[in-house]
Amino acid sequence: MGGVDVGEGGGKKKSTNADINMVPFIDLLMCTIAFLLITAVWVTNSRMNADAQVPGPPNPDKELTPQTPEKVLNLHIGETDFALVWKQGATVVSEVRVPKPPPGDNAIIRYTDLGKKIEAEWNTNGSHRDPSDKKLDQAIMHTDNRTPFKEIIAVLDALYATKRKVKLPDGDKDLPVFNMTFSVR
Amino acid sequence: MGAHDRPPSKHHNPHAHVIHQPGRRLMFKIPLKFVWNKVAGHGKRSGNAALNLVSFIDFLITTVIFLLMSFSASGEITVDKNVKLPKAENVEDIIDAPMVAVNGNQILVDGNLAGSTRAIEELGRMQKIDELFTLLKNKRELWKQVQPNKPFPGVCILQVDQNVPALVVKSVFQTAAFAGYPNVSFMVGKLPKGG
Repeated sequence: MGGVDVGEGGGKKKSTNADINMVPFIDLLMCTIAFLLITAVWVTNSRMNADAQVPGPPNPDKELTPQTPEKVLNLHIGETDFALVWKQGATVVSEVRVPKPPPGDNAIIRYTDLGKKIEAEWNTNGSHRDPSDKKLDQAIMHTDNRTPFKEIIAVLDALYATKRKVKLPDGDKDLPVFNMTFSVR
Repeated sequence: MGAHDRPPSKHHNPHAHVIHQPGRRLMFKIPLKFVWNKVAGHGKRSGNAALNLVSFIDFLITTVIFLLMSFSASGEITVDKNVKLPKAENVEDIIDAPMVAVNGNQILVDGNLAGSTRAIEELGRMQKIDELFTLLKNKRELWKQVQPNKPFPGVCILQVDQNVPALVVKSVFQTAAFAGYPNVSFMVGKLPKGG
């Protein structure tokens, strides 16, 4: 067992070497490990943000001034391809089509090429780039009512792959450049 | 001690045949000297081996520290057993918010029934789900009563099964927004980066 050696005891005095019984200490560690293992949370669930774009009530003290509408990315999920359409109000600024990869055997859908194309598009047309700018560019997802949710999440994952540094009160943070909402007719 | 207080000698003790001096009894008469030598360490090497516990205690302490670091006091977030979540890579940590579970048949708010998925699919168009709207609105009002000085965050988390059609997702999304939850998050399984 564990002990503390502080040299030989002199003469007939009591020995200065003391043995510490380690068994209760090991018992305590074992009990702590058992408790922590039993109560441990192993599930790794996370979340992906979306925004319903509900307008707040207008401020009666402020005079309303007409503003130029921001550029918005309209992401259309088609049968065979994706369309990335930048619109400023009703005006189409640019349109790019990305072919959809054929569905594989893997249960997890990934659209890596779409993510790369979205990044290139944001580099060209994105409005909010400065780290002090906390506002994110808006993306509107247009999808058929039959599209399974896993495909929506795969597109959202590609949309949120591009990130930029944003200065927040609690330090710099890498945030997705887009905020998604659904197109509702 | 006087002479009469002394224990009687063996010759005068009437119980001498039953009371013996303490000591080894079992197989004492059999001279298994080699066994005694081995056990007592009088032979070449002692049969008792001292284990070094330092490394063992180090291992235990490391395990305890790791488990304490990864310990979550908020507990496990319950996921509806009928919901199979999709997986994604670019995700954020879960926050404490009302949970809306959407499986192939039902819509549940924190375990309470709040609508039917089948009914929305059969109707074939987007709609406001009244039960869901009422439950979420009640939750929002309760939150405001409990914390009157704080701004309402308006966040709710949707646990949607990966095969549920977009029509249902959009209906639930819109209903949550109408009920005062414009910041809707989707719960997903976390994929490792670059995986």
